[in-house]
Amino acid sequence: MTVEEIRAHIDPIRHEFAEARSLILPALKFAQTEKGHLTREDLEAVGEATGFSAAYVESVASFYDRLYLRPTGERVVSVCVTLSCMLRGADELLEHVCEREGLPHDGGTSEDGRITVQEVQCLGYCDRAPCVQVDAEETRGPLSLDDADALLEELRSSPRPERLWR
Amino acid sequence: MADYAPVDLTAEGQVEFELNGRKVTAPAGTMLVDAAFAHGVEVPIFCYEPRLGPPVGACRMCLVEVEGMRGLQTACSTPVQPDMVVRTTSELAKDGQDGVLEFLLENHPLDCPVCDKGGECPLQDRTFRFGPGKTRFVEPKRHFPKPLDLSSLIAIDRERCIQCWRCVRFSQDVAEDKLLVMEDRGAGSVVATLTGDQYVGRFTGNVIDLCPVGALTSIPYRFRARPWDIRNTPSVCGHCPCGCNVELTEREGAVQRVTGRPDPNYAVEEGWLSDLCRFAYAGNDGPDRLRAPAIRDEGRVKEAQLDEAVDAAALVLGRGGKVGILVGPRATVEEGFLAQELARAALPGALVQRLGIPGAGLEAIRSQPAAQLGDIDGADLVVVVGGDPGEQQGIVELRVRKARRRGATVVTVGPRPHGLEGLGTAVRSEPGRLAAALEALELPAAERMIVLWDEADLAAEPDAAGALARLAGERGARQIELGLDVNGAGLRALGMGATEVLDAARRGEIDTLLTIHADPLDGPGGPEWGWALGRVRARVAIASFASTLTESSTVTIPASTHYETEGVYVSMNGRAQRLRPVTAGPEASAPGWEILIALMHRLGAPPPYRTAAATFAAAAAARPALAGLDYDALGVLGAPVAGVAPVSPNGVNGPREPAGTGLPLVTTTRMFGGADAYRAEALAWVRTGAELVLNPAEGARLGLADGARARLRSPFGECALPVRLDPAHPAGAAFATTGVPEAGVERLLPADRGPVRVEIEVVG
Ligand code: FES
Ligand code: FES
Repeated sequence: MTVEEIRAHIDPIRHEFAEARSLILPALKFAQTEKGHLTREDLEAVGEATGFSAAYVESVASFYDRLYLRPTGERVVSVCVTLSCMLRGADELLEHVCEREGLPHDGGTSEDGRITVQEVQCLGYCDRAPCVQVDAEETRGPLSLDDADALLEELRSSPRPERLWR
Repeated sequence: MADYAPVDLTAEGQVEFELNGRKVTAPAGTMLVDAAFAHGVEVPIFCYEPRLGPPVGACRMCLVEVEGMRGLQTACSTPVQPDMVVRTTSELAKDGQDGVLEFLLENHPLDCPVCDKGGECPLQDRTFRFGPGKTRFVEPKRHFPKPLDLSSLIAIDRERCIQCWRCVRFSQDVAEDKLLVMEDRGAGSVVATLTGDQYVGRFTGNVIDLCPVGALTSIPYRFRARPWDIRNTPSVCGHCPCGCNVELTEREGAVQRVTGRPDPNYAVEEGWLSDLCRFAYAGNDGPDRLRAPAIRDEGRVKEAQLDEAVDAAALVLGRGGKVGILVGPRATVEEGFLAQELARAALPGALVQRLGIPGAGLEAIRSQPAAQLGDIDGADLVVVVGGDPGEQQGIVELRVRKARRRGATVVTVGPRPHGLEGLGTAVRSEPGRLAAALEALELPAAERMIVLWDEADLAAEPDAAGALARLAGERGARQIELGLDVNGAGLRALGMGATEVLDAARRGEIDTLLTIHADPLDGPGGPEWGWALGRVRARVAIASFASTLTESSTVTIPASTHYETEGVYVSMNGRAQRLRPVTAGPEASAPGWEILIALMHRLGAPPPYRTAAATFAAAAAARPALAGLDYDALGVLGAPVAGVAPVSPNGVNGPREPAGTGLPLVTTTRMFGGADAYRAEALAWVRTGAELVLNPAEGARLGLADGARARLRSPFGECALPVRLDPAHPAGAAFATTGVPEAGVERLLPADRGPVRVEIEVVG
């Protein structure tokens, strides 16, 4: 995404933020709509549009689970690994999902590009632990290993999304 | 590194509070850690570092109990309040501190005998003094690939990092290079650069000093020594004229490391060093170091003993005829003074001069009240006239940035674009028309104004110096000279002028030339000097490094460098500070001042003193500008010299109107472009070459494309440079880099670095 495009997007909302650095988030979110993830060029463009260094922009982007610094698959399954979920079997769940998709234990994107699995910190769904979130839309829990299988099944059989959720 | 801020317990506005059962006072607003430290109570810290700006409270190490407040408080971010009751060693506080240390050590590998910081590590020290003594964590520690290179100078061992943010804050808030950040979050947080790029800047090495654990270490020093087999000596940097205070590490007779001082000099560098200061030491033992004396006899070179060489030198100097003595900018005050004494007592009629900018037109501005670099912090208006301080007097940049962060207005006036321009209002002057720009300058009202001015630019335009002096006078501003020569100010304080030796040599009046750390052939006006020296019968060189001059001198005597000698340097803004030798240097070398004393003995005029201290005392007694300075009292922090150095009457300036035809030439030395950077292997990867920068319009006019090669010709000499077109550089001038050894831009300049014009054409 170009600096001009990002500027055109954030200029109208600039006044909503007391601090200039708060603009980085909407700018990143917008920049991500193009390819579904953020490239180095995107980080640099966001930096230029907001007046921060690209390194700083990357540090912000790397903090948030839904900003992707690497290409993702069509659907993103985020497995919560924070305490409540962990105590209720999140590690097992994550391992199971990764294994099923043929991924390393901390996630990644399946070979066919359909599904990305990632671990995330607390989804705020502790009362339904262990939980996962699908894309940015839906949080499900508590999830048994069978439920997880069913979920993956469901995601695979659903049509390819026309546009990535982001 | 400095950890606690100095606290003035006698200042106005003290508040009283209770500290561990004692009633004490501290100025209102002082942070508890600093107040406690001033009263002899150490509260352990990691992330706190007053020089980085407001506290962030990231590490929680400084937990203390404050009566009436729930839970423990971070003493680094809690200002003292009247009647506050603080306990730093109560059971509760102790428990908190123990807990934090136990937690910090959860993943820290405790590989102290392997870690370069082991023995110098605040984490280790504080664990011993404040830690719990045992841990409940039995899990395996984390492992990362190690070490990763943050740059070719700095390695990072990520598992050691305790995420205190000091390095990140330095990069973001002090150097403002904005390159280091904390990436990812929670347990995954790491110090990083943009997708793994190198951390390249001019002040990057400071993060090594700042790191309170061994996470960031110096690659050139890594595994070179252990804290128990090194010797540290406080000294002064001799790579630029700022006079930064350094600590030199020696092992096995060589300089192994240069760091900032644990107790910084707040009047000068405040503990920060530029990377040139920090890493150029490697060049001290470089291949061009002179290691053996040489005597040249009828074209044959004979290696000699030190004694033989001094004898030969005395013979050459003493055989009659007029002697010229040229003292280079790296000579100490003692060496300069001894050169004068040698001439006075043993070589009647000899001329002693320094190699540097004459600057007779500069008295007006030099005689305005001077400020120390530390005073820039408190200014509310900083005006930078000429120069390129970030490159030429690096550390000044950090001071100006700090002032700007504290609300100062920054105004720059000058012909060349540079890094400080972006900090405020930039007034671009036409080359050679600085005076006009200064006359027209509109400045905001300010109570504390400081003017920084470039020696070379103003020496070339005495009207501008006058205009600036008037401006400073009217506004009650203090001034700081951005000098170019390491000890130029010290030699001026001795009353040395700068042009007569050349003039006399040109006229064929000099029979023998003695040079002391002076290298006229490779500097500005090289061709002029070459022509003039052709008329000199014999030359004696006291020098540390090989040069065009030493390769053809009659006698060459290897001299100690600033790492190896005792003496005084006066920094560009007039601060006298002591050099302390950290190694002895090559066996057949000696400090310049000792060589000069030996020469005086041989020539039958033994001086009544034989130490550097006594030499300095004699100089201080004899030269008004040094009056009142005492060698011992200079201590490790130095002292400002009394007044302006009187300029010898022969110090006339070069032509006012630029010599030659074509475009006026504007030169700058880059921090990593000079001979010192070229000598140091560690800096090879950041070395900047010389280039000719032109506005694209000028490029088009001259038929020069980006990347082309151009020949530059001035009345004094010529050289060839690659061309870069840059719209940020104004049309109407040619911008070139000096200092780069093989490029030889110096050849274009007259010996006094005065203004010149250059004809430019495409090569090939
Ligand atoms: S710990 Fe998993 S949702 Fe809160
Ligand atoms: S030193 Fe106070 S929180 Fe780090």
